[in-house]
Amino acid sequence: MSEPGVGIELSHVTKLYAGQQQAAVEDFSLSVDPGELVMFVGPSGCGKTTTMKMINRIIEPSSGSITIDGQDVLSLDPNELRRHIGYVIQQIGLFPHMTIAENIATVPKLLGWSRERTNNRVDELLRTVQLDPAVFAHRYPKQLSGGQQQRVGVARALAADPPVMLMDEPFGATDPITRQKLQAEFLKLQADIGKTIIFVTHDFDEAVRLGDRIAVLGERSRIEQFDTPANILANPANDYVSSFIGHGAGLMRLALIPISDVELDAPDATAPAVDADSSLRDALDLLMVTGAERVNVSGGEGSLTHARISAALNKARHPVEAS
Amino acid sequence: MSGSLDVFLARRWEDLVMLTLQHLAVVALSLAIATVLGVLIGLLVWDRNVPRTAALTAAGIAITIPSLALLALLSPVLGLGWAPTVVSLVFYSLLPIVRNTVVGLREVPAHLVESARGMGMTPVKTLLSIQLPLAWPVIVTGIRVAAQLTVGIAAIAAYVAGPGLGLYIFKGLSSLGSANALNFALTGTICVVLLALLIDGAFVLIARYSTSRGLRV
Amino acid sequence: MTALTEQRARLGLKRFGTPFAVVVVLAVLFLWLGSLTLDSIEERTLNTSYLVERTQEHLILTVASSALVALLAIPAGIAAYRVRSKAVRAFVIGLGNIGQATPAVGVVILLAIVWQTGFFTALISLVAYCFLPVLRNTLTGLEQVDQATREAARGMGMTPRQVLWRIELPLASPVILAGLRTALVFSVGVATIATFINAGGLGDMIVNGLKLQRYPVIVVGAVLVAAIAVLIDWAAGLVEDLVRPRGL
Ligand SMILES: Nc1ncnc2c1ncn2[C@@H]1O[C@H](COP(=O)(O)OP(=O)(O)OP(=O)(O)O)[C@@H](O)[C@H]1O
Ligand SMILES: [Mg+2]
Repeated sequence: MSEPGVGIELSHVTKLYAGQQQAAVEDFSLSVDPGELVMFVGPSGCGKTTTMKMINRIIEPSSGSITIDGQDVLSLDPNELRRHIGYVIQQIGLFPHMTIAENIATVPKLLGWSRERTNNRVDELLRTVQLDPAVFAHRYPKQLSGGQQQRVGVARALAADPPVMLMDEPFGATDPITRQKLQAEFLKLQADIGKTIIFVTHDFDEAVRLGDRIAVLGERSRIEQFDTPANILANPANDYVSSFIGHGAGLMRLALIPISDVELDAPDATAPAVDADSSLRDALDLLMVTGAERVNVSGGEGSLTHARISAALNKARHPVEAS
Repeated sequence: MSGSLDVFLARRWEDLVMLTLQHLAVVALSLAIATVLGVLIGLLVWDRNVPRTAALTAAGIAITIPSLALLALLSPVLGLGWAPTVVSLVFYSLLPIVRNTVVGLREVPAHLVESARGMGMTPVKTLLSIQLPLAWPVIVTGIRVAAQLTVGIAAIAAYVAGPGLGLYIFKGLSSLGSANALNFALTGTICVVLLALLIDGAFVLIARYSTSRGLRV
Repeated sequence: MTALTEQRARLGLKRFGTPFAVVVVLAVLFLWLGSLTLDSIEERTLNTSYLVERTQEHLILTVASSALVALLAIPAGIAAYRVRSKAVRAFVIGLGNIGQATPAVGVVILLAIVWQTGFFTALISLVAYCFLPVLRNTLTGLEQVDQATREAARGMGMTPRQVLWRIELPLASPVILAGLRTALVFSVGVATIATFINAGGLGDMIVNGLKLQRYPVIVVGAVLVAAIAVLIDWAAGLVEDLVRPRGL
C-alpha cells in the first residue's frame, strides 16, 4: 500500500553561509539505508538543521553531492523534488487559513490528484494519526491542541506517500507526556510504513527511543559517531559522545534490552510479576519500587534478580566479544 | 432665517440620492484601482529593503500634500470632473494600502513560507495561496483606512467639478446669505458623514467574510 | 566600524533627504518661473511680497490652530482618561469616529455659513477639526501604558499625580505626539481650503489660478503648499524622535 523508503547518500557536503568565515556544515558524508530511521543529535547550532535542509534543497549546498535512490537531487527541479519528500518542522507550520483537510491535501493538490483520491487519502491519514476525520477534517489549526497539530503535521508530510521524510524536532514543542505518546505512535506508524526518515533532535533520550541509527554530531556537523543506539550507549566513540550521553546511560541501555534476550533464573511465583515483552529497565524499576529480591517474568518462564540485570548490561557493553 | 429643511429635502431628495450614489461610485472605483495598484506595489517591494523604504517614504510624503493642491495641479492636465478626482483619490489611497500590504506580508511567519516551499510550492504559488491570504486581514484594514480618507477628499473634488456630495457643500458656500445656503451645506456634509460611517461598517463585513475562518480571532 | 558609518549615512539621508528634495523642487520651480514671461494678471500674484504674505498667512493659521489644539485637546484627553469611566471613553471614541468621517470642507463652509467668513472662522474650524484625533490619541496613548508599570510606580509610593507626570505621560508621549503631527499636517491641508471663506493663505493662489486659468499661478501655489506640508511633517518627525523617551 505505502511506498517503501529509498536510500539517501550524502557525500562531502559542505555549506558555507554567505558572509561567514566558517562553514556551518563541513565535508559531511553519510549513507542512509532504505527504510531506516536515522536520528541527528547534537548541541544547538551544530548544523543539524542545515544538514537536513540541504536534502530537500531548502538550503543549497556549497559543494558535495546528495543522492536519493541513486538520483542526484541537485539535478532535479527543487519544487518537484520537494513534493516527494515529506517535511515536518519544529513550529509545525500548519497553514492557519486552511482547514485540517486542506492542509493535508496541499501536496496531493500540487501533484494534481483527483478530488476523490485526495479526500480518501485525507481521511485515511487522519485515521492513521488517530484523529477522527468526522471531527477534525473541517476544523482550523487554531481549534486543535498542540499535540493534535503535531499529528496533523506528520499526516500532511505523509500525504503523497513520499519515500523519504525529513523531520526537524517535530515533537519539540510539546510537553513531556504528549511527547512520549507521540513518539510511541510514531514508532508504530513507522513500523507499518517503513519510510526512510531523517529525524533531527537535540534530545538524546528521544534519539535512543526512536532511532535505528544515531548520528551524533559535533561542531560544523562533524560526525562523532554513527551507530545503533545500543552500540553508542555501550561504546561511546570519544569523550564528546560520552558527555553528550550524559548520566543515566546504563538506564537508557537497559531500556533497549528486552527481557526475552536475557538468561533467566527459575520462576518464583511469590515475586512481583513483570510482562515478558517489557525491557530490563521495567524489570529494574519494579525491583526498586517493590524492594523485592527478584521479579517473576509473567508467563512463568523464569525470574530476574539485580545481578542478572547487571550481568546482561555488562555483556551488552562488549557485544562483539560476546557474540 | 433659512428655508425649512423638510421642504428642502422633499424637493431635492432624488438629487441627493443621485449625488450620494455618485460619491459612493467614485470612491469605490478609486479604491478598486488603488487596491490593485497598491497590492501590486506592495508585492514588488515588500521583501527588498531599498525599494520598500523608497516606496513607503514616497507614499508617506505624497499623503501630506494638501488635496486641493493636487486637484489643482491635475485639472489643467486632466480637465475637470471624474478624471482628476479618481486620480487624486487613488493617489491618496496608495499609502495605506501599500503600507499595509508590506506590513501584512512581512508579518507572515517565516516558518509557514518555509513549510510551503518545503512541500514543493513554487514561489508564485506560495505567494498566492499562503502569503497573500495570510496578509489579507491587514491589507483590508489598509483599504478601509483609504476609504475613510477618500470619502472626505472626494467632497473637496467637487471644486474641480468632481462627482458627489461636495457639490451641495460648495453650493451652500456659493449661495451664502440666501435662504438655502445652510440646507445645502448641512445636507451635503451630513450625507458625507453617513456615507463614510456606512462604508466603514461595510468594511467590517467585507473583512469578516473575505478572511478565512481560521484567521478570525 | 563601516557598518556604523553606513548606518549613520542612512540616518542622515533619512533626516536630511526630505528637506534636500524640497529645496531642489523649489529651486526648479523658481528657475522655471524665472524663464516665463508673465502677463499682468500673473504678475499680480507671482511676486515676492504676495508670495511671502500668503505663506505667512498659511503658516500662522496652521501653527496657531495646532498650538490651540495641543493646549485644549491634550488636557481634555488626560481628563477623559482620569475619570476612568466607560461611558466617557465610549463617547470620546465614538465622537472621534464621527469626526474622522466628517469632511473638512464641510466643517469650514458650515461654520462660515452659520457665523461669518474670515480668518477666525478658519482658525476655529481647524481647531474643531483637529481636536478629536488629538484627544483620542491622548486617551488611547495613556491607556496603552502597561498596567504592570503603573502598578510598580504606585507600589513605590507615587501619588496618582506623580504616576501621571513621571510614568504615564512620558510613556504615552509617542502616541500623543503622533496625533499632534497628524493634526499639523491636516492643518496645512485644511488651511488651503480656508481660501473658500476668505481666510487667505496659499489656497488663494490655487483658487485664483484655477478661476483665471493661469497655470503658473496654480503650480506655484500648489507646490509651495505641498512643500510646507512635507517640511512640517518632516520637522514634526524630528521633534518626535528628539522628545521620545530613550529606550522606547
Ligand atoms: N540562514 C542562515 N544564515 C546564516 N547562518 C545560518 C543560517 N542558518 C543557520 N546558520 C548558522 O549555521 C549554524 C548551524 O545552524 P543550524 O540551524 O543548522 O543548527 P542546529 O544544529 O539545527 O541548531 P538547533 O538545535 O538550535 O536548531 C549556526 O551557527 C547558525 O548560526
Ligand atoms: Mg535546528
